[in-house]
Amino acid sequence: MTVAEHDLALPLSEAAVRSLRVGDIVHLTGEIFATAGLPTHDRLLACLEGAEPLPFDMAGGALFHLGSLNAEAADGSLSIVYMNPTTSTRFNGHMPRLIAGLGLRATGGKGGLNAECARAMADCGCVYLSFLGGGAPIISAAIRKITGIGWPEMISHYRIARIEVERLGPLTVGIDAHGDSLYDRTLATALERRETVLDQLRAARGGGG
Amino acid sequence: MPITDAMIIEATMASYSRSLRKVPADVTAAIAGALETETDETARSTLALQLKSAELAERTHSFVCSDSGIPVYFVTIGSRAELACDFKSSIRKGWEKLVETIQPPLLMHVTNPLTRERGYHGKDMPIVTYDFESGTDYVEMVCSPKALGSGRWAAVELFTFPTLEEIETFVLDVAIKAAGQHCPPVVMGVGIGGTFDHCAGLAKKQTLRPVGEANPDPTLAAMEERLTKAVNALGFGPMGTGGDTTALAVHVDYASGHGFTPVAVCFNCWINRRTRVRMWGDGRMEWAE
Repeated sequence: MTVAEHDLALPLSEAAVRSLRVGDIVHLTGEIFATAGLPTHDRLLACLEGAEPLPFDMAGGALFHLGSLNAEAADGSLSIVYMNPTTSTRFNGHMPRLIAGLGLRATGGKGGLNAECARAMADCGCVYLSFLGGGAPIISAAIRKITGIGWPEMISHYRIARIEVERLGPLTVGIDAHGDSLYDRTLATALERRETVLDQLRAARGGGG
Repeated sequence: MPITDAMIIEATMASYSRSLRKVPADVTAAIAGALETETDETARSTLALQLKSAELAERTHSFVCSDSGIPVYFVTIGSRAELACDFKSSIRKGWEKLVETIQPPLLMHVTNPLTRERGYHGKDMPIVTYDFESGTDYVEMVCSPKALGSGRWAAVELFTFPTLEEIETFVLDVAIKAAGQHCPPVVMGVGIGGTFDHCAGLAKKQTLRPVGEANPDPTLAAMEERLTKAVNALGFGPMGTGGDTTALAVHVDYASGHGFTPVAVCFNCWINRRTRVRMWGDGRMEWAE
């Protein structure tokens, strides 16, 4: 089986998102949002409830769990030195409301999201893209320009960085917009195999306790 | 001539910087080996991408991961090493100087667990474990920057007179709970016995053992082999998207204890940050990894 590869421009259309299937490889070109902050996710939810305006118009956007070293120089110019994914499951509680509330077309990071998030993604037309953890040199090479830093008063990786990227990837579709999730699949497989694996361990020990 | 504060400061700084930029050669060799046998196509491209990332970071002298972790060091002092240094204060100074000078700068990961405030410094930072070795004339320092990605999945359970079956089932269940979220393929460290604190230390140190280095104890070597096979049979794969390569190795150590038997399991992600440096009184510093 050959893996399908897609070169996609941002913002993504719903049709483009729904055409993706788990295991596909994606490269993205255009504008993304990046943050790795738990307080940032709390604050985004508060924005949706009207506490304050969002730092950017994020509707239909791509919000990724990426930590970055970003900076604003004295002359106002913005830069990002490196970026890399963080564990997405930390945001399981936030993402269903953020996906629906912002109408996200893509989210991602590493480690996947849970079934409730996958349902929100299927409803909304959104995919989860898996980045390589420990892939900073590859991922950072796709940065073309940083076009905004939201909430600069927060520490670097908690801010929301708006970044223009060119062929960001390769990213693996971990959860598609049809409710299929590689993370649910692998966990189900592991649980299914558990008894067999324990039997194999017993046999390797020579049958003893 | 004795080992000086300046050498300890230099070792503290350089070992950290090196750990962030260089994936140990035994690890890249193990990933290259896994690439030859891995049957899942996505997994194969992920393994290849990992090798590319390691190569690129080393060549461009950049960080492999944006999460530079928190500072963790292990110091072993040889009984014949000549010393004229204050370890605690020099390691602290080395860390302070590192965060002020390193390029590119580190993100702030040191977290006060009571307030969740983050910075570069905090109580008990850096975390240093000291030990002694008889007969050697050097000081060895191992640097192990530790981050949430793989750190959060560690577990300790206290058993009473467990069978090997109970111990190995626990190890497997910790691997299932972590699933593929710790940036696999990982190195797993397992500690069995001793006391609560000692057992966790045994597990941690086993993650720092080079991959492919055989365990000299045949009982443990056999246990390592079957546990590695078992974890890989679960199928989580590189970055958790499925495949045959979840653990590059499971390393096990044990200690005698009472009938209450702690079992500790912890993980290092695929980049396996660790740097070992030995220092002698004549000023020599020898680097490994």
